[in-house]
Amino acid sequence: MESEGAESSVPAPVEVFSSIRERTIAENSMVVLLQGLQGEVTTVDLRNESTARGRVISVDAFMNIRLADVLYRDRRDQLTRLQDLFVTGRNVRYVHIPDHVDIMKTIQNQLSKIHRVRNFASEGGGRKEFPKKTK
Amino acid sequence: MVLLKNLQPPTEGVRHEQAETTAVMDGQRLGCGTLYVAETRLLWFDGSGLGFSLEYPTIGLHAISRDVSAYPQEHLYVMVNGKLSDENEAEMAEKAADDEDEDGSDDGEDDDEGTITEIRFVPSDKASLESMFSAMCECQALHPDPEDDDSDNDFEGEEYDVEEAAAEHGHSDIPSFYTCDEGLSALTQEGQATLERLEGMLAQSVAQQYHMAGVRTEETKADFEDGMEVDAAAMEAGQFEDADVEH
Repeated sequence: MESEGAESSVPAPVEVFSSIRERTIAENSMVVLLQGLQGEVTTVDLRNESTARGRVISVDAFMNIRLADVLYRDRRDQLTRLQDLFVTGRNVRYVHIPDHVDIMKTIQNQLSKIHRVRNFASEGGGRKEFPKKTK
Repeated sequence: MVLLKNLQPPTEGVRHEQAETTAVMDGQRLGCGTLYVAETRLLWFDGSGLGFSLEYPTIGLHAISRDVSAYPQEHLYVMVNGKLSDENEAEMAEKAADDEDEDGSDDGEDDDEGTITEIRFVPSDKASLESMFSAMCECQALHPDPEDDDSDNDFEGEEYDVEEAAAEHGHSDIPSFYTCDEGLSALTQEGQATLERLEGMLAQSVAQQYHMAGVRTEETKADFEDGMEVDAAAMEAGQFEDADVEH
């Protein structure tokens, strides 16, 4: 069901590196692992005993999570389907990591993305210890 | 329902405005009005100025619901931590303005009990739900949880110095810049050998300027290449240890 809104109903995973501060926070916490789950379908347990299962669209440095095509189960076990869901980091208790996800690899990939962003900004101005060898 | 009299529409930082939006709080229909998704707070009020506002830190989640079997109309669902209606009904006789503050400060206790308020914003224009949702996401991101101990505030506003951090953690694979003093200790064995070789070449090229009669080159690189072929045993003993120095 395509909506006529500005965004498509199935947005592509969004890279959320919007600020230096967020990059630094992400780099120094396990949030990088969650950010690497973009595109995966997983379950998020909320602090109020409800759960939300859907595809991860984005996770920011404050662990705010955006999910799509969500099956939301409230505390009374009532199921609701939600097209898009945004849960604040403060309200997240657990995020289930899918079994097929390689945790170390995901973390390493995310960290290298952060470093690429950082080094891209300093390209040309970045200095290396040894000049490149010309052969 | 919180009665806010003389409420003016926000003039700044309004990410999204949606008219003809019905607000339903914990199942109670409050009427039709305008929703303002502003950077400072979420406001809804009808044309006569009656309405309520929500502080983003109190909002636990928001979502787009298009499942008409769960709720008959497509809407924006907002879950607020804590109770709005109960407190306010008791205090409607008193100053309504104080309710705003109380809503925010009761977060801690109510969270433990899991008390929530469910608000549904039902716009007449269903296609606008995505915009409303996105605007709320953006504004929510502007209000990170101040109680979060995990966020490292040491780096707030400052550029995280990769070079400094790399020097601290000894990550020699990250391209970084060392001063002469710091750098020597951070060299790997291979790095040490390379450094010695280069220094040797440099020293040798200086020596070459005096040995090569009549020719004095400025190009150190050219000297390297020449230097390899000329007897440089005295200078490069270490490097060519296992080779026959014979030309």
